[in-house]
Amino acid sequence: MIPYLIISPYIIFFLIFIAFPVLFSIFLTFNKWNIISPMQFSGFKNYIRLFQDALFFKSIYNTFIFLAINIPLQIVIALFLAEILNQKIKFRGFFRAAFFLPVVVSGVVVTILWQQLYGFDTGLLNRILVSLGFGRIGWLIDPKLAMPSIAIMATWKNVGLYIVLFLVGFQTVPKQYYEAADLEGASHWQKFFKITMPMINPTIFLVVILSTVGGFSLFIEPYILTGGGPLNSTLSAVLYIYKEGFFYYHMGYASTLGLFFALIIVSVVVIQKKFIEKEV
Amino acid sequence: MNLIDNKFFLPKKLLNNRITYFIVLLLILFNFTSCKKKTGVDNRLVYWSSNNIYEIEFAKYVVGEWNKNHPDLPPIKYQPVPEGESSEEIILAAVVGKTTPDIYSNIWQGDVEAYAQAGVLIPLDTLKGFNDFIYQRSDSSVVDEVRSSDGHIYQVPWKINPVMMMYNKKIISNLGLKDAPRTYDEYFKSAKLFQRDANGDGYVDRWIGFSAIKTSWWQRFFDFYPLYLAASNGAPLIKNNKVVFNNKYAIGVFTFLRELYAKNYFPKERLSNRQDVFLSSVIATRFTGPWEIEHANKFKPKGFKFSFSSMPVPDGHKGPVYTYGDPKNIVIFNTSKNPQLAWDFIKFFVSKKNDFKFLKLTSQLPRRKNIERDSLFLEYFNKHPKMKIFAKQSKYIRGTDVSPVLKEVFDMISQEYEASVIYGTKTPEQAINDAAKSVSLLLYNQGK
Repeated sequence: MIPYLIISPYIIFFLIFIAFPVLFSIFLTFNKWNIISPMQFSGFKNYIRLFQDALFFKSIYNTFIFLAINIPLQIVIALFLAEILNQKIKFRGFFRAAFFLPVVVSGVVVTILWQQLYGFDTGLLNRILVSLGFGRIGWLIDPKLAMPSIAIMATWKNVGLYIVLFLVGFQTVPKQYYEAADLEGASHWQKFFKITMPMINPTIFLVVILSTVGGFSLFIEPYILTGGGPLNSTLSAVLYIYKEGFFYYHMGYASTLGLFFALIIVSVVVIQKKFIEKEV
Repeated sequence: MNLIDNKFFLPKKLLNNRITYFIVLLLILFNFTSCKKKTGVDNRLVYWSSNNIYEIEFAKYVVGEWNKNHPDLPPIKYQPVPEGESSEEIILAAVVGKTTPDIYSNIWQGDVEAYAQAGVLIPLDTLKGFNDFIYQRSDSSVVDEVRSSDGHIYQVPWKINPVMMMYNKKIISNLGLKDAPRTYDEYFKSAKLFQRDANGDGYVDRWIGFSAIKTSWWQRFFDFYPLYLAASNGAPLIKNNKVVFNNKYAIGVFTFLRELYAKNYFPKERLSNRQDVFLSSVIATRFTGPWEIEHANKFKPKGFKFSFSSMPVPDGHKGPVYTYGDPKNIVIFNTSKNPQLAWDFIKFFVSKKNDFKFLKLTSQLPRRKNIERDSLFLEYFNKHPKMKIFAKQSKYIRGTDVSPVLKEVFDMISQEYEASVIYGTKTPEQAINDAAKSVSLLLYNQGK
């Protein structure tokens, strides 16, 4: 009895806030429901609509574009900075804290801050460019640049977390390997690429998985910065699902999109796992 | 460790019984904590207003007066709409939870049809005295506008904030113009004269106007929609669940706005991130409502003068210039314990005397016919000449068409607006045609 009593808060929480919403969401995929009117059974109509919805597939494409820029950028920068912050440099503690700071700042605050930086007319970045004799860049108003701009911002926001993970990963590499490499006359970067990198593969895998899952849930940045524009170039899958669900109240269709998108995320993570495990 | 071996585990039968007792105990506990203790019958009617401070003041006044004058009737309990991301979301949550108030003022006219079709509103025309009242308060065109697709009326037209062209008097005068530009041609000429690179960095930084480039559906209430109503003498977008905006007026408006962006007379930048661009003379005109008057008076620099004019119209336009009125109305929800009493309160709420009080307190126009000529209101308008411009415009305004999917309609127009007007990837004809096709499909699916 007591063990059940102890785990009961979580079980109740799980049943109410996880199991029920998931099951209800699956049930909704077969229904048409706008919350205020009675639910209508619609069979597979939502699924048929999904496969005809060009905008949804564009939003998935946009999300993959974001991931394609964000993940490598994040890993390269985080690895580079972690490697530097792993050395005995001056103010190391300060820099470690400074790089981690954006992680703990609210995503909304960060996004509003970058909105000021990216402004075409009055943004700080364009002012610097103009003062250096370059032209202005339409960071958020050029459809080709808007998603890369968001990816850069997301990298800035999250890279601190991955620096910490890599720093932890570095501590797991046995010192003897470096000592042996020193005896062989290996350079600093040779040791980094030949010893450190292969040895921290599990950390890289963790970072890739975390970045992927985080990237798939891209929402706040486009929601605040661009609203999904220009020309739907920053419409992420989650933003699209949100609009369908909580803006138009197409609860059945939004649930169908959500379920389909969840399957995509699971598939990608499974493929990544297999691929990276092989490498390890 | 095998959990079954745990010393705390008990025989299965006993365990099952205990689990059952435990669940029953939990349910009882939930029941006690979630239910309010009810003592007697609460026959008060609940009224929700918007949470605008001036409207709260007005609501307090009216409810106080009503309760004071009707001690024999169940009292009205007033509260502002609970805090949330938007009042629309709060109302929706209340509808779902069946916790709606008896009366709600400030409902957007475009939302009413969806609620009416869901059966959560009281058809007001079934209440005693409504039909006499509504024709006394409103023109027949307004009554037709608020009539739902099932023939019933679910809302009382209450207040409007017409969208007009605000302009900087000094700039217009410096451009050598006697008055604000009235036609597209005049607007373009003014735009050309005013456009310049003030700081000499090679980029234009003075524009004739500005409209947010975001594709949010409601953004079109400040550019496309009032311009469309102005050009078409108040034509609808949708009629009898059919698209009727695939016409020369809509194409003309898209063409007009597209040229403004193409020639950099309107910036593509988000100017909302900086100091008020109108008050800092970065732009010369703005499409906005009477709420700007108080803001401008409060923050304008010394010597700054502004006024309002009707929306620009196509060259050769004949007849009055319509615009979007942004109407907000009053409804009674079907959770009301006493709809007739709620209706009697609403009649008092929108009486002439209270409409006048509302105007004075909030600087928002009651949607009442001939308001600009009524002697009670005239004194106020003479003291507030800018509001008089809006009062005169109030005769020529439109609200929204009757459709439960109006937000989606405006969103679809907005998508095409962005493609054609802002980025020029489609011709205005193509864009309007594509919008019409998407909306037709939406209305068809909705009607099924």
